[in-house]
Amino acid sequence: IKLISDAGFQGEITSVSTACHQIEVFSRVLRTSITTFLEGGVEVMEKNLPEFTKMVCHGEHTYLYSQVMMNILAQEQKGGSNIRRICQELQKCANDRGLDVTPITLALSGAAAYPRACQALSSMLSKKALNPADITILYKMYSDNQYPPPPVDLIRVPAFLDLMIESLFKSNVRLNQEHKSKYIYLLSYATSVTETYKKGVRKNIEKKELKPTTQALEKVQVLCSQNKNASELLVDVATLFQCIKFPVIAIGVLAWVDEILSDKSYFKLNTDHTPLHLVLVDEIVTNHILLHQKALDLLIRLFESSFDELDVLVRLELKKTVLDRIVHVFSCGCVLPVVNYIRERHTRQDTDISLIRHFVSEVLDVIAPPYTQEFVNLFLPLIENEGITGKLRSDDGNDPVSEFICHCKANYAAT
Amino acid sequence: FFNMAAGDTALWLHNKLGSTDDLWSGKTICAQLSQDKLQSIRGCFHTLQPHVKVKLMMSFLHIPRRNVDSWKGYLEEILMMAIHDTDQWVSMVGEILRTYPATGGLNLELEDNNGTFAEVLADLKKLVRKSMDVKMLPMECQFLNKTALLATTGQQPLPTKHFALKRKPKSATLRAELLQKSSEAALNKKRN
Repeated sequence: IKLISDAGFQGEITSVSTACHQIEVFSRVLRTSITTFLEGGVEVMEKNLPEFTKMVCHGEHTYLYSQVMMNILAQEQKGGSNIRRICQELQKCANDRGLDVTPITLALSGAAAYPRACQALSSMLSKKALNPADITILYKMYSDNQYPPPPVDLIRVPAFLDLMIESLFKSNVRLNQEHKSKYIYLLSYATSVTETYKKGVRKNIEKKELKPTTQALEKVQVLCSQNKNASELLVDVATLFQCIKFPVIAIGVLAWVDEILSDKSYFKLNTDHTPLHLVLVDEIVTNHILLHQKALDLLIRLFESSFDELDVLVRLELKKTVLDRIVHVFSCGCVLPVVNYIRERHTRQDTDISLIRHFVSEVLDVIAPPYTQEFVNLFLPLIENEGITGKLRSDDGNDPVSEFICHCKANYAAT
Repeated sequence: FFNMAAGDTALWLHNKLGSTDDLWSGKTICAQLSQDKLQSIRGCFHTLQPHVKVKLMMSFLHIPRRNVDSWKGYLEEILMMAIHDTDQWVSMVGEILRTYPATGGLNLELEDNNGTFAEVLADLKKLVRKSMDVKMLPMECQFLNKTALLATTGQQPLPTKHFALKRKPKSATLRAELLQKSSEAALNKKRN
């Protein structure tokens, strides 16, 4: 194995335990994987992550070694944040496998200098649940006016932020009302405060946005926790739109909407053509590029639910409404993931063709050249497909479908 | 007597950590560690199999902090023996944990310990610097206010524009309708 590795064929070494046995071989396989991720980006990483996790998580020591290597790389000023993302994905996968990686995460985070905060965090992260006592410890440290607070990065941990959102916006978590303001303060602090460092020493803590973030979060958290139905919420739309501009609130509202829409009776009881909650998703997508994928995931889940309890025609209408939201995500710039998804549905032949047709015609309604070659490559096959667009074409060729085909043939390379 | 105790301890460790099927089981011995135990582990460390040595050291990360503080000397001695071990995994793990008993942090100055590590790290560093535009953003970024995001990751490149928009999608009308209904509802509420 070492000979194969020395000869440079890392990709050929597929057996995990073989690769992990010798540190030299393991290091090189690790290098090959990280290189692939850096060259391929998020999609390639997500595809290869299960295999990568399996290798890295072979033992606690291989996980430690890999995280140490990547943490050193993540400190690079240029490009380091790419590696940080890989570290986090790996950590999440390990967690999902039931492995207790919290001690390694914290030992690498620089939390050791703040043992009390570190202990509070680690107990919550290990148990995957927040508790008032530990939250109070953190709250005191971050709101203290006498002593400088720990670095904001300490609580800017994805797993911690997720737990916070769950506590504040999901109904299955019973939040202790007496301590609620501490949760809100900490979450606002983590998302709004910026620190300036010079040569590793913290020079300044900017808290200008802390108060407005806290206030908005308080407002929306109350609205979401009151169990109001859509018509009762109508008067609060302007407030919700306003507050959704804060990314953290948008994430909370998405989690809340997700839960509400998962309730089977929601669409049965709601007769509005476009339910308020779906318009909130639109608004979030309009405001936050970084939340496109999250919103799309939610819409896809919704699109694929069976809605058994609804009449066939109502069900089809509802799916069109969801597709309109997906078209909205598309129009806001999340183009390739959306078209890829629709293509996948079409290939699998498990989606009513009228729905694919609906998507295509809504898209043609809003887009105009210039197109990218990449987009044409993906979208043109759907448009050229007789089964999908036959009914949308007219004999004289004066229709959006024929025009699109014509334009692409004249201006783009054949696909 | 000392050898007996050390032999017992070696056997105990072998029973607890000898399996190669589960390489995450280090922490299972934490509750049974004590000052005496560590003392006799120090005596038998060189006789242990490499993977047992590695798992033993990994257990250090799961020991409650106050115990780490009071056992610091023993832990460090064991780590020092590990650093000089001929097995490369053993010495690497020892090296990474070298600073842990004293500071709670890990040692990231590892290039001198292991040639491959240094080689791979150097290769990847070059690649990382070149990969600025891949933009796999850290997960917490989606939570951050604009100012905080800018401070962490710098200006984001604009997403590729795949087409021009000739009109707004249906969603725009719906939004306007909803706002209209909302202000009517607010008016009604005021009247009543």
